[in-house]
Amino acid sequence: MIETTLPASRCPRCRRLIVPPAARCPEHGDRMEAAGVPNTGEVVSFTTLHSPPEGFRSPLHIALVELEGGARLFCHGEETRGVKIGSRVAVENVDSVFYFSHMGFADRARMFWRRAGARGEKVTAISKSLVQGLFKGRTRGQD
Amino acid sequence: MTPTAGPPDNDGVTHVWIAGAGMTRFGRRSESLPDLIAEAAQLALADARIERPDAIVVGAMNPEEFTGDGNFGSLINTHLGLSQSPALRVETATSSGLAAVYTGFAGIAAGLHRTILVVGGEKMTHVPTPRVSEIIGRSIDPHERRYGATMPALAGLITRAAMHKHGLTLKEFSQVAVKNHANAARNPYAHFQEPVSLEEVMASRMVADPLRLYHCCPISDGAAAVVLSAEPTPVRVAGIGQGTDTIAIRYRSDLTSFRATQVAAQAAYRMAGFGPERVDVAELHDAFSPFEIISLEDTGLIPAGKAGRATLEGQTALDGRLPVSPSGGLKARGHPLAATGIGQVVELTWQLRGEAGSRQVDARVGLVQSIGGLATNNWILLLEAGR
Repeated sequence: MIETTLPASRCPRCRRLIVPPAARCPEHGDRMEAAGVPNTGEVVSFTTLHSPPEGFRSPLHIALVELEGGARLFCHGEETRGVKIGSRVAVENVDSVFYFSHMGFADRARMFWRRAGARGEKVTAISKSLVQGLFKGRTRGQD
Repeated sequence: MTPTAGPPDNDGVTHVWIAGAGMTRFGRRSESLPDLIAEAAQLALADARIERPDAIVVGAMNPEEFTGDGNFGSLINTHLGLSQSPALRVETATSSGLAAVYTGFAGIAAGLHRTILVVGGEKMTHVPTPRVSEIIGRSIDPHERRYGATMPALAGLITRAAMHKHGLTLKEFSQVAVKNHANAARNPYAHFQEPVSLEEVMASRMVADPLRLYHCCPISDGAAAVVLSAEPTPVRVAGIGQGTDTIAIRYRSDLTSFRATQVAAQAAYRMAGFGPERVDVAELHDAFSPFEIISLEDTGLIPAGKAGRATLEGQTALDGRLPVSPSGGLKARGHPLAATGIGQVVELTWQLRGEAGSRQVDARVGLVQSIGGLATNNWILLLEAGR
C-alpha cells in the first residue's frame, strides 16, 4: 500500500509547507510545525540528464512536483514519456527517495473512487474525476 | 598607523572609480592559479600606474578543491610580492568575482582605503569533468543534490518551465549562443574564438533536456583584475547591488525569473539614481543560454516576455540597440568562476573607455550581472563613463 500523505513542515506565520520537513521557515526563520501533505500533485518541470553525476543511472529523470497545498519536492521517475508540465503525478517514498509516477485518467478515477469511498460519496467522486479528466485534457491519452 | 583614506568628494559621498583593468586569456591554461592571478593583477596595476595597492581582495570559488591551496588571501598577496597589502578572500559561489568587487567598493566608499586591487581566478581544466561538475554542484542544496541535481539539471528544469510559461523557444535561446560565439570571435581574451551556426547549436548533444551542449558554458581557466580608486578616472562605479534567494529551488514559487537578480538590480539602480533605460551595453551571466533571456527581463533591460524575440531580431547583437555580452559571455569568452564577474567589469571598462578593438560598441553606461549558484546570490554593477 502506498502512503497517501508525506511528512511536511508548516510555517506558523506564512503557513507555507515544506517537504521534507525543515526546522525553520526559509523566509521567516520561525520554527516550523509538523504537518502532512497529500502525495499527489502536478509536475512543475522536469528534465532528463544524459550524463548524470556519479552514483546515478543514465538517463536520469528528475521532476520538480508541486503537491496539493503548495509544497514542492524533487523526485526521480522511471520515465518522462507522456509527462508534461501540469501532468498529475503521484509521489511515493521508497527508502527515503521520492519517486513520481504519471497518473493517467484511470489512475485519477481510481484515486477519487478510493478516497471518496471512505466517505460514501462515490457518485460525486466519479463526476469530479470525469470533470477533472476533461479539464486536464492536455495530459490525456498518454497512459 | 597613517590613515590611507582622504576626505569624501564634494557631495559628501566617496565615489569609487575603475583605475585599472586587466585579464588573462580565458581557456585551457597551463599556468598555476597564483600565476594566472598574478598575470591579471600586474596588468591591472600597470594600467592604473599603481605599484602597491592599499589592500587586496581576492575572489576564488573553490581553490581548495581544484588546486589544493588554502589561506588564499595570504597566498596571493605573497605571490604578488605585496605581502604588506592586507588581503582577504571572498566567495559567493559562481558570482565570487563581483562579490570581491563589492567588497573592494565598500572599502573605498567607506573611506578605509584609497586604492584596492580586486582580483579573481579559477583553475579547473586539469581536473576531470565529472569531478569539476561535482565540485561546482556543491553550491546546490544538499537535499536536491541527493536527486542528482547538477547545475545543468536545474537549468534544464528552469528552461523547460520558461518555454511552457513564457513561450520561450529553442531557437530564441539557441541564438544567444550563436551571438555570443560571434562576439567572442572578435575577443582575443575569449576561450572560444570560432563562430557557431544556429543549426550546430540546435543539433548539439542533449545534456539536460531541453538544454544541449552548446547552451552550456565551458570549463575554463583564467583570472581578471581591476584596481578601484577614490581618485577620479574615466570610469565610475555608479551602483552595485546584491540579491539573494533560497539555496533550495523547491522553496521558490517561480522558476522562470530570478528574485536574486531583480533585487540586486533594484539596489544598483537606486544607488546609481537611474534605471535600465540609461544602460547602453550589458555583460550578463549566460552560464546556460536561456539565463541571458531571463536576465534581460529580470534587470528590466527588456520587458518581460520579450527578450527571446529581441534576441532573434538581433537587438542584443554587437550592432543592435542593446549589445549584450560583447566579450562573448560565459558561453564563449569562458567561465573561470571567480574570474568571470571581474572579467565582465574589465570588458565594460574597456568598452566605456573605447578600448575594445573590433568589438567596440557606442556606450556611456554599462551593466554587469553575475549569478551565484543557481541564482542564490546575485550581483548587479553599473559603470558610467566620466561626465
